[in-house]
Amino acid sequence: MQDSKSGLNEKKTMDRRSFFKKMIAGAGLVGMAGSLAGCLQQSPEQAGGQGWLPYQYNVAGNLPAQVRGRVPIDADNPSIVRDDQKCILCGQCLEVCENIESVYGYYSLPVIDETICVNCGQCSMACPSGAISERDDTKKVFEVLEDPDKFVLVQTAPATRVALGEEFGLPVGTWVEGKQVAALRRLGFDAVLDTNFSADLTIMEEATELVKRITGEVKKPLPQFTSCSPGWVKFCEYFYPELIPNLSTCKSPQQMFGALAKTYYAKKRGIDPNKIVSVSIMPCTAKKFEAQRPEMNDSAKYWKTDNMRDVDIVLTTRELARMLKAKNIDLPSLPDENYDSIMGEDTGAAIIFGATGGVMEAAVRTAYYLITGNEPPELFLNLTPVRGLAGVKEAAAEIPGVGTVRVAVCHGMANGRKVLDAVRDGKAPWHFVEFMNCPGGCIAGGGQPRTAVPPSDAVREQRIAAIYRADAAAAKRKSHQNEEVAALYREFLEHPMSELAEELLHTDYQSRADKLNRLLSRVG
Amino acid sequence: MADIKGVLVDITRCVNCESCVVACRLYNGLEEGKNGAKETQAEKDKLVSNRWTVVQKVKVEKNGNAVRRYVKQQCLHCLEPACASACFSKALQKTPEGPVVYNEKLCVGCRYCFIACPFEIPTYEWDKSFPRVQKCQMCLARVADNQMPACASVCPTSAITFGKREDLLKEAKSRIAANPALYVDHIYGEKEAGGTSWLYLSDVPFEQLGFNTKVTHRPIPDYTWQVLKWTPYIFVGWGALLTGMYMYTKRRAEVHAEEEMYAPVDKEE
Repeated sequence: MQDSKSGLNEKKTMDRRSFFKKMIAGAGLVGMAGSLAGCLQQSPEQAGGQGWLPYQYNVAGNLPAQVRGRVPIDADNPSIVRDDQKCILCGQCLEVCENIESVYGYYSLPVIDETICVNCGQCSMACPSGAISERDDTKKVFEVLEDPDKFVLVQTAPATRVALGEEFGLPVGTWVEGKQVAALRRLGFDAVLDTNFSADLTIMEEATELVKRITGEVKKPLPQFTSCSPGWVKFCEYFYPELIPNLSTCKSPQQMFGALAKTYYAKKRGIDPNKIVSVSIMPCTAKKFEAQRPEMNDSAKYWKTDNMRDVDIVLTTRELARMLKAKNIDLPSLPDENYDSIMGEDTGAAIIFGATGGVMEAAVRTAYYLITGNEPPELFLNLTPVRGLAGVKEAAAEIPGVGTVRVAVCHGMANGRKVLDAVRDGKAPWHFVEFMNCPGGCIAGGGQPRTAVPPSDAVREQRIAAIYRADAAAAKRKSHQNEEVAALYREFLEHPMSELAEELLHTDYQSRADKLNRLLSRVG
Repeated sequence: MADIKGVLVDITRCVNCESCVVACRLYNGLEEGKNGAKETQAEKDKLVSNRWTVVQKVKVEKNGNAVRRYVKQQCLHCLEPACASACFSKALQKTPEGPVVYNEKLCVGCRYCFIACPFEIPTYEWDKSFPRVQKCQMCLARVADNQMPACASVCPTSAITFGKREDLLKEAKSRIAANPALYVDHIYGEKEAGGTSWLYLSDVPFEQLGFNTKVTHRPIPDYTWQVLKWTPYIFVGWGALLTGMYMYTKRRAEVHAEEEMYAPVDKEE
């Protein structure tokens, strides 16, 4: 009894020695398990010692081996946006901005108060990871299309109809004019109209201006510069403000169309101009900027109101393709449809606006008619010297009455500089010069499908060929033959460069020389 | 100290392409925040735990004209970093090459470095369960290998120059001397907080660009050293004092007890 009692007591109480033994054994077990599990493994680098490197910073990370940086793009750029998560710093945008467009690197640092950008979007065409893209305005268009109160009309630029098909798997340069019209109707636009109409109108105004400059009726310098490429216009305002008087005062076809849509078209169709939403489908990101220029509200001046823009929303070809895909509209399977009337008629001269040299060729055809009163000879319908992808092209044409008219065509602003420098130095023999910001003209504009990245001449040539095929097949190939344009002059504007035409179709330009310190001659 | 590396940022050459910001994110494997696209410009201009460098857009007046300047911000890598001196767990340390680096394994998360830093650089992973302090590490592995930090390697306008701090100071001074009409005669980081590895040149006064120009030119750890250097003396002295007091009171109690024991018994009781 006594023994068992003392035995129980012994189990309950533990002396210090046995507790210590058990604790040591337990710690040993934990240590062994821990080492086996790897928890207590010492890391090879000695924290705090000489040459200590935290392990995570020895990894090279995702920085590519070749990095060159990128162009600056402001967060509030109206034309292009960049997704930093996609940027791989490859420098393709720098390459095109500096060497093709001669914008980046052609101003001295420090900068003044804005990021120098002509909004051309060529960087978005060269960006291999798709980090740079057009500012997406499709949501705005979907919203107005759902508003039954609004009359939403759309104009389509000459160059979109040879490229839109590429977004839907059609071969490069497929002519989809009719299908594009059908697709826009399916999207719910109230009127599907054609920028080609105002391209013909531009030719009437611009050729008239050219003739008046040559005859001395308008006291402005020669050569006259075209003004339908908004990237080029901004480039001129930035880098060659002293040559602004050479710029034709004609608005671009988009803006002529916008000004007429809310005046002439609204009157003729009996629509409240305040209810019209004017949308344009453009191959161009700079058109987004152009539509936002403060002076582009001549329809508001005409109606003496505020809050009216000539063109409300500009979509690029890529955005239109996105809209169609969002609405499950399969472009290739659509039938060919025709543009609405009025402001839907075009001629071959308007179609070729989309290719480099096209504006020049169209203008020369009509200038011949305006000067001589006769239709131009066959040569003028195939002005091959101004066609093709050579950087600077020249031609001379005999026009009875004024003699030899010399013209030049250039595309890509690095090529443009060669012409501009010659004009500035007084060494220019030309009467009329066409400038296109993008290499190849609008068919390879910054808003066109990214069929080849970076854009290739093969793609450009196929789109240009499609344009000239359509011109050759057109029944009317001269802008002055456009019946709707003739009716516009008869019923509304009276004649080219009339007072009302000056008000609605012409504009002026502002020097942007105070926005940058340009480098006039650049080494390297 | 002579071999310490640095970076010279010439604000007059920055065009705001933010290549450096992207390079930093790619090299350091930082994840873009969840709402990266929705961030406002003011938010994008702020250092956060997954963005160790930013290019701040500052509107200032220069000769009466409004101009925009772009200020690359990141850790300045002080020669005598206050954060490292405040860090009792040695998670922040100045390396011999120049970078002030952070070791998450040693960090206890006290964020004393936040309070210590005169430039408000360190950031914290507030949304994580086990947050770390985050800041520019000056691409330590690259710098130790004598390569440029990622941001400097990608700058298309050479606004960011990497080299020995001594050489960069000379370069900065020669740039100011060559173009005194452009630059303000101040190399930010030469003396600020006792000198920083990153140096700045500008054509508008630094205080207008948001730089802390009131920061002391004395190394900040100096201030604490003025107090902390007394620690051993106070430690020993205070111990000695207390020991003495203890001995004294103990002896007094003993004397008191003895006196009581041998005192005559009160007769009136």
